[in-house]
Amino acid sequence: MIHLDGISKIYDNGCVALSDVTVDIPKGDFVFVVGPSGAGKSTFIKLLFREELPTKGKLIVNGRNVGELQSAEVPYLRRNLGIIFQDYRLLPNKTVYENVAFAMQVIEASRREIKRRVIHVLDLVGLRHKAGSFPGELSGGEQQRIAIARAIVNNPVVVIADEPTGNLDPETSWEIMKIFSRINKGGTTIVMATHDKTVVDAMKKRVIAIESGNVARDEVKGVYGYED
Amino acid sequence: MKVVMLLGMRSKGYTVMKIRTGEYFIKEAFRSLKRNGLMSFASISTVALSLLILGIFLIMVLNLNNMASNLESQVQISVYLQDGLSDVEMREIGTRITKLPGVNQVLFVDKEEALKRFKQRLGEQQSILQALDGTNPLPNAFEVKMDRPEGVKPVAQAISQLKGVENAKFGQEIVEQLFALTKMMRIFGVVLIGFLALAALFIISNTIRLTVFARRKEIGIMKYVGATDWFIRWPFLLEGIILGFGGALAAVILLNQTYGALIHQVYESLAFLPLIPQYPFITHISIILLIIGTVIGALGSTISLRKFMQV
Repeated sequence: MIHLDGISKIYDNGCVALSDVTVDIPKGDFVFVVGPSGAGKSTFIKLLFREELPTKGKLIVNGRNVGELQSAEVPYLRRNLGIIFQDYRLLPNKTVYENVAFAMQVIEASRREIKRRVIHVLDLVGLRHKAGSFPGELSGGEQQRIAIARAIVNNPVVVIADEPTGNLDPETSWEIMKIFSRINKGGTTIVMATHDKTVVDAMKKRVIAIESGNVARDEVKGVYGYED
Repeated sequence: MKVVMLLGMRSKGYTVMKIRTGEYFIKEAFRSLKRNGLMSFASISTVALSLLILGIFLIMVLNLNNMASNLESQVQISVYLQDGLSDVEMREIGTRITKLPGVNQVLFVDKEEALKRFKQRLGEQQSILQALDGTNPLPNAFEVKMDRPEGVKPVAQAISQLKGVENAKFGQEIVEQLFALTKMMRIFGVVLIGFLALAALFIISNTIRLTVFARRKEIGIMKYVGATDWFIRWPFLLEGIILGFGGALAAVILLNQTYGALIHQVYESLAFLPLIPQYPFITHISIILLIIGTVIGALGSTISLRKFMQV
């Protein structure tokens, strides 16, 4: 599903974020990407949805060679990815329903299809009853669940999450992780950058640790392994 | 180059627009127009003012050109005779004119005939002639028709040398002055319009920039969920086009009314001034202005999109 082959990323200012990283993530995997701040986790995540381009190496995501993608093809890569951020990124002036539907509108899905899918994913994150609320009326955990609903509404093959529980308390984080588990059980690949030791240790999933631009560890049922 | 970009919108990555999507674009564009009400108004006013001035210039230059070429194509010399000549003397002058090269026809117009024609031209304003107290100030004259316009000038000069001739008038003197005037106006107009177009472009691109800024979060999300660049651009482009077209429309309506009133006025009081009739003249100018307004609007938003959105 995701294949990094000798990937390096050097920013314009000369900062080496990743150097010669080779990782293979098969379909259906659940992967935590961990490591100290500034080690290259964020770059790793951003490469996957082509927010950044690799300087060197070959990166395949869902059968597409990301490094050689024309900019006009990028939207089609992203339609198969669900992207989730630490700060939720919901639109405050749209209702919960509209926020989730928006992701389908912009790829020109039919109105009936939108309605069916939005209700389905709101059910999946347990917030169907909040469909008419505005993000400002929801708790952080609820907002993140809406963001997850939006990320999966287009049936992505990979969900990419950058610190999704970074702003949440442990209990809420745990609820969020249960949702991710459920999504993963449906066959969706999940790649998650996180600082959350409790979550990583409890989930017993694959852990890729990145330190100063290199893969320091890659364990099938790994642990967080840092003290922060 | 920007225009090429606009035309290239059906290229790669652009799927056929659905009606519902079109609805969405239009709704979004009008929402932004409303949100930036003051800026939208300023943009439309600037475009309207710029195009109004452009329109006025076009109308003036085209009318002057029209007058000039009307006069230029005239192959007629009006020869005014001194008062108090005998019939023999006048006939003698007529014969001499007939013998000049290129002269096709010589027609005698006596004082009375001239006055009758003048009355006709004045139409409803004949009453001003009452001031003449029944005297006739118009001279006897010859109307000399030439084969070709080129010969007019030397023949007119020759005629004016003849004894008994007061003067010989032909259109080309005025033509040259008119052409010089229109040339000057054209240069001045182009410079002025250049500045005004830049101002309109600037204010539209600023308005669109505000919209882009107000919606940067939305744009970011659209990009992450896989909206194509053109899907993101359309509402902004549409907003710019509406601003440009709206301004042009205001200018067009104003010009139409004004020119209509002007023509009416001129026909009433200055019937001899050959203005170009309102239709289809103003229709053509309106189409030109509407196209220019739309292009300015589209360009303005394209500039902003390139600079501030990077999509």
